[in-house]
Amino acid sequence: MDAASDVALDILITNVACVFRTRCHLKLRKIALEGANVIYKRDVGKVLMKLRKPRITATIWSSGKIICTEKQVKKKLNLVPDLARSLQELGFRVIFTDFKVVNILAVCNMPFEIRLPEFTKNNRPHASYEPELHPAVCYPTKSLRAALQVFQQGVSQ
Amino acid sequence: MAFVNPVPKLYRSVIEDVIEGVRDLFAEEGIEEQVLKDLKQLWETKVLQSKATEDFFRNSVHSPVFTLQLPNSLHQTLQSSTASLVIPAGRPLPSFTTAELGTSSSSASFTLSGYPIHVPAGVTLQTASGHLYKVNVPIMVTQTSGRASILHPIQQVFQQLGQPPIIQTSVPQLNPCSLHATTEKSQRIETVLQQPTILHSGTVDRKHLENATSDILAPPANEREIMSEALLSQPESSQYISLPGVVFPPQVSQTDSQVEPVLSVSGSMTQNLNGRPFSTSQQGAQHRHMSDTQLHVLKNRMFGCDSIKQQRNTEEPSNLPVSEKDSNSQMDLSIQVTDDINEIIQIDGTGDASSNDEIGSTRDVDENEFLGIIDAGDLKVLEEEADSISNEDSTANSSDNEDPQIDIVEEDPLNSGDDVSEQDVPDLFDTDNVIVCQYDKIHRSKNKWKFYLKDGVMCFGGRDYVFAKAIGDAEW
Repeated sequence: MDAASDVALDILITNVACVFRTRCHLKLRKIALEGANVIYKRDVGKVLMKLRKPRITATIWSSGKIICTEKQVKKKLNLVPDLARSLQELGFRVIFTDFKVVNILAVCNMPFEIRLPEFTKNNRPHASYEPELHPAVCYPTKSLRAALQVFQQGVSQ
Repeated sequence: MAFVNPVPKLYRSVIEDVIEGVRDLFAEEGIEEQVLKDLKQLWETKVLQSKATEDFFRNSVHSPVFTLQLPNSLHQTLQSSTASLVIPAGRPLPSFTTAELGTSSSSASFTLSGYPIHVPAGVTLQTASGHLYKVNVPIMVTQTSGRASILHPIQQVFQQLGQPPIIQTSVPQLNPCSLHATTEKSQRIETVLQQPTILHSGTVDRKHLENATSDILAPPANEREIMSEALLSQPESSQYISLPGVVFPPQVSQTDSQVEPVLSVSGSMTQNLNGRPFSTSQQGAQHRHMSDTQLHVLKNRMFGCDSIKQQRNTEEPSNLPVSEKDSNSQMDLSIQVTDDINEIIQIDGTGDASSNDEIGSTRDVDENEFLGIIDAGDLKVLEEEADSISNEDSTANSSDNEDPQIDIVEEDPLNSGDDVSEQDVPDLFDTDNVIVCQYDKIHRSKNKWKFYLKDGVMCFGGRDYVFAKAIGDAEW
């Protein structure tokens, strides 16, 4: 992959998806009624809680599993415990367990353009390019366990 | 420009329907008819007091009604179970009719119509709009007839009770009072309020008034007349001066005991086009605050109670003549509204566990169904009810969005409490503005929300509104 390793690149983390468990059954209705900034999706059986300060969107299930995606700008501050605390405020006996980062989305901007067809040819086995489907080349790297999306402009996610 | 306010009618129809409906039940249970009547009366007065709607009175829309309550307790005027007096005022011919006489000795209700009305001391007045006045001194309420070029200072009798919410600073409204629009140059345009003047017999007031008037005389360059009156029952009482265009909160000096009410009069008189002097003294009161200058039309008059809140706009033109700011108009306004200035009295909400009647009024209502009795203060009950209903409904129609699901939408005055780090603000639901309605569609894109609501009741700024359809946009 033509990653420009010569040039120091800034990788910006745009999104972090993580899961954790509260180890207790959560009453979604109560959360939906009393919690702040919640969206109750009864058809799916979950509650979405959006926070502004740490830009978190948390999906809360009644089993106690919580998936939250944090949109971080620069800081690496992890404010997920705040989410658990807010649940605690509502009266649930929340235990913060099993915190696992599931996904991190990062953007890396390259100062050059990438010619995608050639790029794909060079990286045959890995890169897959379907211009009709998606304008980026999909490049899953096993070693890093990451999937890269390479765009022509040089932005890769 | 007065819109027909459908809320009082709606409320009234609701009350009547309910009363009729339970009449049989009451009879079956063996409860007297009188109880039912009391219930109805209580209900009406409560709605009136809550000021959730204007001009609630069924009697005549145009006549301001005074409710007299003989002195027994200081502040429990209409809260008591006894019937309250309803005094429709504004009739040209003074007549005295007794509406209902309360059984208890503490209060009695009289219907007074016409002016002037002599109110003995120690009486609590309540006007049709629900303003409460406690009079500790003999006063005479007169009606100013614009045609007679008599200006009525607007007076307000305060009694600052231990419970501020009960006090209202609104000025009684008199329909028959005619307003003279200010001259073209009126700088301040505001609703003109005409109020029957309550004359205070205190001589001290006159002094104050004179001072006040002299102050007032200076500013108006035009022919406005500014009337401000501060009537003080006691020399120590603070004085209220109404300045032209400036909302002056009359300071209610609080004496130790509640015995002494502070009469604060803010006169905002309609301007006399001709600049005729305001002859307040016609009332015969010793103190006449009326200055001889023109009236000044004030839109917002603030009365200086701490608990008094000043509301800026007349949202709803009430059935009572609404005063409008018509600086340029030459016509006489028949009535004005003081409601905006009045403090919002939360009678039903505060600490009231039982469900209360609160029906919204809408400005642009075509027709609204009666949604039910909602307790503004008790949101939890509402939520639970709504949620239970919505649960039932949703189970019935899972995918039907259009379904009437009762939903509660709340408007935060502060736009949510996300500023608090680490914690969600729990008092997110302690907002003043509540909407209870059904939703057609609620849509969200990122942080943009769109609401398509229907059949709703809202309590906004203390007032109630109803709507058949509402569309909202919000950003989170």
